[in-house]
Amino acid sequence: MTLLSVKDLKVTFNTEAGVVEAVRGVSFSLGRERLGIVGESGSGKTMTGRSVLRLIRPPGHIEASEMLFDGIDLMAASEREMRALRGQRIAMVMQDPKYSLNPVMKIGAQLTEGLRLRDKVDKATALAKAIEALEAVQIRDPERVMESYPHELSGGMGQRVMIAMMLIPNPDLLIADEPTSALDVTVQAEVLSILDALVRNRGMGLIFISHDLRLVARFCDRVLVMYKGRVVEELAAKNLMQAQHPYTQGLLNCLPRIGGSRAPLPGLDRTAAWAE
Amino acid sequence: MSLIEIENLSVTYHVGGHDVRAVEGVSLSVAARESYGLVGESGSGKSTILRAICGLAPVSGGTIRIGGEPVGAHRSKAFAARVQMVFQDPYASIHPRHTLDRTLSEPLAIHRLGDTDARVVRALTDVGLPPAFRFRYPHQLSGGQRQRVAIARALMLEPEILLLDEPTSALDASVQAETLNLLNRLREERGLTFLMVSHDLAVIDHMCDRVLVMQHGHAAEELTREALAGAQMQTDYARTLFNASADRMLEA
Ligand SMILES: Nc1ncnc2c1ncn2[C@@H]1O[C@H](COP(=O)(O)OP(=O)(O)OP(=O)(O)O)[C@@H](O)[C@H]1O
Ligand SMILES: Nc1ncnc2c1ncn2[C@@H]1O[C@H](COP(=O)(O)OP(=O)(O)OP(=O)(O)O)[C@@H](O)[C@H]1O
Ligand SMILES: [Mg+2]
Ligand SMILES: [Mg+2]
Repeated sequence: MTLLSVKDLKVTFNTEAGVVEAVRGVSFSLGRERLGIVGESGSGKTMTGRSVLRLIRPPGHIEASEMLFDGIDLMAASEREMRALRGQRIAMVMQDPKYSLNPVMKIGAQLTEGLRLRDKVDKATALAKAIEALEAVQIRDPERVMESYPHELSGGMGQRVMIAMMLIPNPDLLIADEPTSALDVTVQAEVLSILDALVRNRGMGLIFISHDLRLVARFCDRVLVMYKGRVVEELAAKNLMQAQHPYTQGLLNCLPRIGGSRAPLPGLDRTAAWAE
Repeated sequence: MSLIEIENLSVTYHVGGHDVRAVEGVSLSVAARESYGLVGESGSGKSTILRAICGLAPVSGGTIRIGGEPVGAHRSKAFAARVQMVFQDPYASIHPRHTLDRTLSEPLAIHRLGDTDARVVRALTDVGLPPAFRFRYPHQLSGGQRQRVAIARALMLEPEILLLDEPTSALDASVQAETLNLLNRLREERGLTFLMVSHDLAVIDHMCDRVLVMQHGHAAEELTREALAGAQMQTDYARTLFNASADRMLEA
């Protein structure tokens, strides 16, 4: 069943220095599954994710011939309808968590705000839910973290707080932008298993944006590979290591390995025809 | 004598009536021209150690010496010319409302270095960004592009010691490779010393001669590169990290 379908998505920025085409005709559909998006830095992964929430600030401009979420036309929805969807039915874990959290509000207040205002939950229940969410993402001392401001958290703790916050309202679609890039492997595994359980048990749809090919190969069902604003390859995640496209293959070759050579890592040949 | 000597370092933050012992009694030393890694659990105090060296964390015990000199409460201009840090959060080193041009040329102005134009263009090119980006603002960049600007800024003053906090964690494999190659080349050419945090053991293995595994504010175990590659770790925690490393999982 299709939860989200995107056809021919384009994102452009009119800057003083000219037009930047950040996304150039991206199409994909998503069921209740784990879709990975990988690709080079600057290839348009974040802009693709933000477009689904229509969170592109002017002078940025979104165009698409179709963007449907659970029967709702996201291109035609009013700003008010979009606000009702954001955070509730479609949530996004931002790439810069500390920058996306409110810097002058304690974590506890940020985690319970929605529960208190929107869901009219009483204070004690909201606090208990927030602490439970922090424990789920392996925060060691949730009480202290509730009392902290974002700048008082480590990089990986900020990421986990953001994930906890996005999961509290039980969204139908979660867009996670590099959600585990600052986590050590053991904590990362726990966080992934939470996301996995939500997809399996609750039927949540997950868009998992990451530059970590090996992680995506293990964790996702399907993968889109982006380069310069386009999808250059789409494949089953388990086949990622056997990718055909020269860009994807090139990416795999330039990963360092434990016990590997210390010679300079192979780079990527960007002169080939596919790079245009 | 080692270039960086940290002895019995403790750092305690105070948050809402709680004491947070972020680092407890950690010692390490890094020789000149060495590259030393820090890995470990999220929240275990890795960034705090780097911040303490820069005078940005509340040290509650122990000493930090650079070139034999204990660092005092305030870091001088000379310290900045010698030691530069690439923060985990790129916004910590780049001002959100300044163009990249201003961000990159500011350290040159403070230290009265000339040749600004050429140096800015060179710094951008070094980290794989087009020179035209110099007139952009940070919000007009992708996450990985911002991270590269932070690296470029740290290199502007040609420091002798680079403290690198997850310098490539927001970068895809190809840009990570280019950035690691650049760092290694500069280390070779300019005789730099690195103290580098990463959660990716393969990156640490590629870049570092020795690595300290941290857990919950403590040093769990120090490993040489050979011991890491040969899986000769002594502690359970270091072994767990090693076994769960992504590049090993796929081979299994
Ligand atoms: N406000 C803006 N004005 C102009 N160009 C922009 C703006 N915001 C983003 N871009 C450009 O759009 C392109 C796509 O950015 P996006 O953030 O989607 O990349 P990404 O794939 O998420 O990269 P990363 O892995 O580095 O986060 C980049 O080249 C970026 O420089
Ligand atoms: N400014 C601060 N005020 C209060 N506590 C802080 C502050 N900065 C860090 N901490 C706390 O110190 C501990 C260590 O944080 P640190 O940032 O050093 O961890 P880290 O090992 O770098 O983790 P990560 O891999 O997640 O970035 C954490 O519990 C964190 O919440
Ligand atoms: Mg991005
Ligand atoms: Mg850190």
